[in-house]
Formats: sequence, C-alpha cells, structure tokens
Amino acid sequence: MSQAATTAGSVPATSVASTEQYNYAIVKRFAIAAVLWGVFGMAAGVWIASQLAFPFLNFDIAQITFGRFRPVHTTAVIFGFGGNALFATSYYVVQRTCQTRLYGDSLASFTFYGWNLALILGVITYTMGITQGREYAEFNWQIDLIILVVWVVYFWIYLQTLLRRTQPHIYVANWFFMSFILATALLHIFNNLEVPVGIFHSHSYPLFSGVQDAMRQWWYGHNAVGFFLTAAFLGMMYYFVPKQAGRPIYSYKLSIIHFWALVFLYMWVGAHHLHWTALPDWVSTLAATFSILLLLPSWGGMINGIMTLSGAWDKLRTDPIMLFLITALSFYGMSTFEGPMMSLKSVNALSHYTDWTVGHVHSGALGWVAMITFGSLYHLIPRLWGVNLYSLKLVYVHFFLATIGIVLYITAMWVAGIGQGLMLRAFDQYGNLAYTFTESVVFLHRPYVVRAIGGGFFLAGMLIMAWNIAMTVRMGIKSEAREREEARAAEARTA
Amino acid sequence: MKHESVETNAGLLIILTLAVISVGGLVEIVPLFYIDDTIEEVDGVRPYTPLEQRGRDIFVREGCYTCHSQMVRPFRDEMLRYGHYSLAAESKYDHPFQWGSKRTGPDLARVGGKYSNEWQVQHLIDPQSLVPESIMPGYPWLATTPLDYSDVAARMRALKRVGVPYSITEEEYEANVEKFGEQHARMFDINNAEEMLIEQAQAENFDGDSSFISEMDAMVAYLQVLGTMVDFSEYDDGHFAEFR
Amino acid sequence: MAAAWEWITDLGNSKMFALVLFMSTFIGIVIYLFAKPSRARKFETYRYIPLEEDDSHLEPTARRDKTESEKQ
Repeated sequence: MSQAATTAGSVPATSVASTEQYNYAIVKRFAIAAVLWGVFGMAAGVWIASQLAFPFLNFDIAQITFGRFRPVHTTAVIFGFGGNALFATSYYVVQRTCQTRLYGDSLASFTFYGWNLALILGVITYTMGITQGREYAEFNWQIDLIILVVWVVYFWIYLQTLLRRTQPHIYVANWFFMSFILATALLHIFNNLEVPVGIFHSHSYPLFSGVQDAMRQWWYGHNAVGFFLTAAFLGMMYYFVPKQAGRPIYSYKLSIIHFWALVFLYMWVGAHHLHWTALPDWVSTLAATFSILLLLPSWGGMINGIMTLSGAWDKLRTDPIMLFLITALSFYGMSTFEGPMMSLKSVNALSHYTDWTVGHVHSGALGWVAMITFGSLYHLIPRLWGVNLYSLKLVYVHFFLATIGIVLYITAMWVAGIGQGLMLRAFDQYGNLAYTFTESVVFLHRPYVVRAIGGGFFLAGMLIMAWNIAMTVRMGIKSEAREREEARAAEARTA
Repeated sequence: MKHESVETNAGLLIILTLAVISVGGLVEIVPLFYIDDTIEEVDGVRPYTPLEQRGRDIFVREGCYTCHSQMVRPFRDEMLRYGHYSLAAESKYDHPFQWGSKRTGPDLARVGGKYSNEWQVQHLIDPQSLVPESIMPGYPWLATTPLDYSDVAARMRALKRVGVPYSITEEEYEANVEKFGEQHARMFDINNAEEMLIEQAQAENFDGDSSFISEMDAMVAYLQVLGTMVDFSEYDDGHFAEFR
Repeated sequence: MAAAWEWITDLGNSKMFALVLFMSTFIGIVIYLFAKPSRARKFETYRYIPLEEDDSHLEPTARRDKTESEKQ
C-alpha cells in the first residue's frame, strides 16, 4: 500500500521549521474533528433514513425518534463535518496564501473548543427535546450565545491574520472565506433574535411570528447553503484545486466576477423556499428571478475550477484526490442547475414538500460539499503530518463508494419526490383525488430503502477515509517521535 | 474606486462585502414588516390558550415540523385534501412559525376537528394501529408524562414580550375581552395561567384520562385547534385572493 | 425626482430596480477587469499565489523514506 502512496499523492514532508512558521497544530485538530463528525453525522443520517424506511426503528424511545434525531444529523454534518473542515482549511489557506503565521494561538484554540463544545451540547440537547424548532438553527439560546462568541473570535483571528500578511494581494480564496464569516455572523444573529423564558430556562420564543418569521428563517436557511455550504467551500476549491493540480486557477478575472456576483445574488433567493405560501407574491417572484440569475456565477465558478485542469486531464486517471475535487465541481454544477429549476414556481408547486428537495440538498451536500472536503482533507492531512497518505488505493475505494452512494441517493429521491408529487395532484375521471396521502407513503417505501442503502455506501466510504487518515496520522506521529529521538542522539554525540 | 485597493485592503473588502450581502435581505425582509397587506385582516384568529401553547411547545420539542407542514397551498388538490389555503393571519401568533419544509406526513394546518380526541390519542400512541401503512413514530410517553405547567406563566410573559396579546393588567384584560370575547380573554390572563390551563384540561379531558394532566392533553388540545380559528363560510370564495 | 423616488419605493418595481442595479454593477466589474490589457495581465499574475508559496521546507526529506522503510 505504501508503494501506491508514492505516486500521485506524493507529498513532501514538513520539517520542524514549518511548524514554527505556521500554526499547523490548530489545523490538525480541526481536520481530525471534521473526520470524526463526518463519521458520526453520516451514521446519524443513515440511521434516520432507515427509520423512514422501517419505522419500527424508532423503538418508541423519545431520544432517538426521527423528529429529535434529524437535527442531530443535520447539525453534525453541516456544522460538525463541514464547519470543522472549514475552520481547518481556512486557517491553513489564510496562513499559506498570506505567508504569515495565524494570529493568536490561544484564540485559535478557543475557537476549536468553543465550536465543538457548542455542537456537542447541541446534539445532546436535541435528543432531550430542547430545540428552537428552526431548521438548521435548532440550537437553544444559550448555545447560540456560545456560537456567537466563537464566531466573533474567528472573524477577529481571520482579520488580524489578513492584516499581518507579507503578500500584498489578498488571494481570492480568502475573499470567499471572509464573506462566509461575515454572512454567517449576520445570519446567525438575525435568525436567532429571541426572548428566553428565563435566564435558567432552556426555551425561548423567537422575536417574530408567522410570515415574517418564515421569511427570516428561509433567508437564513438558504444563505446557510449559500455562504456556509457554497461560498466557503469555494474558498476551499480556489486553493486546493490549483494546489493539487500543480497549476494556477484557470482565470483570476473570472474568479473576481464569480465572487461579487455570487455574494450579491445569494442573499435574494431564500424566499423560493416559500413559494405558494402565505408570503406575499412579490417576494417569491423576486426570489425566483434571482435564483435563475444565480446559475451564471455558479457555473462561472464551476468552469473556472474544472478548466484549471485543461491540458492536464490525465491527472484524473492517476490521481484519485483530483478525481474527488473535479467530481465535486461537477456535482456543484449539477445541483446549481437543479436549484434554479426547482425555484420556478410551476416546478416548485410539484417539488416542494417532497423528497425531491431532500435529494437536491444531498446532491449538493454529498456531491459538492463532502466531495470537495474529502479531496481537500486528503491533500491537507499528509502535509500537516509530513508523511505520505497511508494508501491511495483506499482513496479510490472511497471515491467509488461515495459516487455509488450519491447516485443511489439522488435517483431514489427523484423517483420518490416526483412520484409522490404526481400522485398527490392526480385526479380520477370524476374529479376526485386519485390517491390518499397514505397511498403515496406506501409508494415511498422502496425509494426510502434505496436511499438508506445509498447513504450506507457513502458512510462506508467515510469510514474507509477515517481509517486511512488514522493510519496516516499514526505514521506521522511515529516519524515525528523518531526525528526527535535522532535529534537528541545527535546532540548527545556532539556534546 | 480602484478594485485594486479593494483586494489589497482587508477592511475595505469587508465593508463592500457586507454592503453587497445586505441588499438582498433588506429589500425582501424589511417591507414585510410595514406593508399592510402582508397579513390580511380576518376575524377569529386568537392567541393560543395556555394548554394549547404548551401543546405547541411539545409539537416543537418532538420535531413534528421535520415531517409535517402547516401550510395549505392554493391548489385544487391541496384544498380538497386539507381545506382552505392558509392565510398569513392564521400564523400571526406562531412563535416560531411551523410551516415546515417537508411532508413526510400530511399537512396539519387544518387538522383541528378532523378526527376525534380518542383517534388523536390512539394515533399518537401507536400510529400503525390506526393507519397500518404509516411510517410515523409512536409517542407513547406523551400519555404517561405529566405536563409540566409550572413555567406556563413565564412562557406566556416571554410570548407577551414578542407581541402575543396575553394580559397582565386590568386594561389589557379588558382589551382582550373586547377583541376575543370574555371566554377567551380569561384564558389569556397571565395572572391565572396555571388555573386556566388546569380548567381547560379538566373540562375537555383531551386524553380521556382525568386522573392527571398529561402532555397528551396539551398536544391534542393544540392539534384540535389547528386551522379552526377562521370561519371560512363567512367569506366569499375570492375574498382572500387579492392578498396573494 | 419625486416620480423617480416613487418608482423606486414601489415594491412592484423592486425586481426591476434590483436587476438594473445588479446588471450595471456586474457590467462595471467586467469592464474594469477586461478594459485595460495591462491591468488584466496583472490580475492574472495573482493566479500563482498558491503556487508561489514558500515550499522550501516542504522538500522531501529523509523522514519519508524512513516511514517507508519502517513498514518493510
């Protein structure tokens, strides 16, 4: 296995000097946390997918019912896996592209412990039934405050590091990371304006109600997708794709256009989650229009990433890490096409409230977010520990398991979503509803089984990655220890 | 301004980015708070009684919104299946809104009164005993867990702070009598919150077990009021269309 | 002026207004990026930032070989 590792993923080792020049210790911690949360969050996902296929799995136990465990899944994968990976890569990229050490070692440690503490508390409190009942923002108000403090510190570290750069130009990846930090702060604060029942009470009531609350929540919800799950991961893309390819990004001018168009447009589109509801029509029409426009910067970015490889397509044959990165971009292109289409009011009438939405989210979350993260972590982790990846073959295995998993997942959800949507709007020859709701649930059983299997494939890939990373890190720790020993021996000889 | 100074100046980059990301949210969200026809005037919509509100809290706690929407859209099939499409006014006391995003189960916006209390209780305890094909989890603990209503007044005070017209002073009470009628206004009085909760639970005995007030009492009380506040027979067919 | 203000504050026109605002900014950025060839060339030099990093300390060292030999 180590033989394979010397080919495409060949990675130079880090020397002692680099650990002084850059703060890699914090990047290491976040990277490992990302892998652990990934395993946990995806396992939780497979678990709740199985509950939908086989409801007896709820076992009448309050703590693990679907309703309480679904936020556990979404929080663990979005904020645990995605969030930790973003902390790791943004701290790495900002140091490398600014050629300066990360500002504030202890502040950076604080973000690590604060962020992960908040997530662990979140997961525990959800199973206890403590929740705000706002999707992707279920944390109760005390945890919201912890997150707010962590986030302000994160912003401060990032800003101070940028200000200390030795490179005059701020590389575009950092723009994306910065916009993600700013937007997430705005979203988190505004969406969590709430009045606690008491200082020691876990529950709070949101400041707004009904239609305003709905608009606020989906402004938050979609921009969590836009800035947390897209802009930030584009920052990752703009660094790790050129780096892994050993070639500069296709066009820097395009990346500037991509950035400004994306950050401007995303904030408008949240209301497409509320088509045909009691939200005033002008808002959802506006959101739909901007959703269509959003296709342009999205595809601009995708083309920019993929064309980076132009003239070196053979890397896709020899380098499984490149395969992850480029496949991620392809899924990004696919789901940013599907999204605007689903935001058309006529399509949305069918797709909304069905599993099509769930499939769409996962083609973005598994195909784009997770794949680009896998690729980046496979690039990053060996470099952090100064060794080669334990096994490139296992990266291939992971890639194929993940791809099969995604394909099963999203096709099952297309069938489920479109099928149910059509059944529910079908009429018989007398103008009565052709199917009861229950009949559509019966129809969903098979797609739900396939979806759970697809999720299982994806989880299996994740487990293989965790094993591969664990072995790589073990090698790194061993060689570090030996290096220290040799240095000591050499010192003893000279003395 | 030169773009160069933007990308070499972190502060400027931050300010411009903030400006650009603020536009969309401002244009779409701010008007919702001051346009009159965001929420139409309609009779009958009232705050939840203490018992109903506690039921709503349990609805949120159990994550029901992950599978059930509370928003009937204006389509023929949905109106046949669920009833009149939802109005913005109907959720104006909903903190948080529970419109949902996914219907793994049917919409609940107008489930109130559709089934008997006994049906709701049995269905919550063991859904498959009534609907064999259902994939809903059972919630048997609701029937056995006593409802904690010790904090109901504190909860109502918090809700009052975010705009729900529960009353503390005599003046507010009188205003509620005027607006919602005496029977309801009594229920919205924070000073008697616990007594009112007990009174409603004992009077209507939602879970069929009068020995104690269970979480099931609150949950069923909430489900049974959903979508029943507005009497649509009072309005013409096209009346609400102008607000869409 | 008053008429223009009325048009802008009418929410029915917000879509149009936002579109115009966006399109003009967008076109402005594109013109800025592409109009002057020297500027365009300068932008493209930034592409190399990730590749120009100080990687001297990342040169392969004996350490990796040891990791390999250790496995045998």
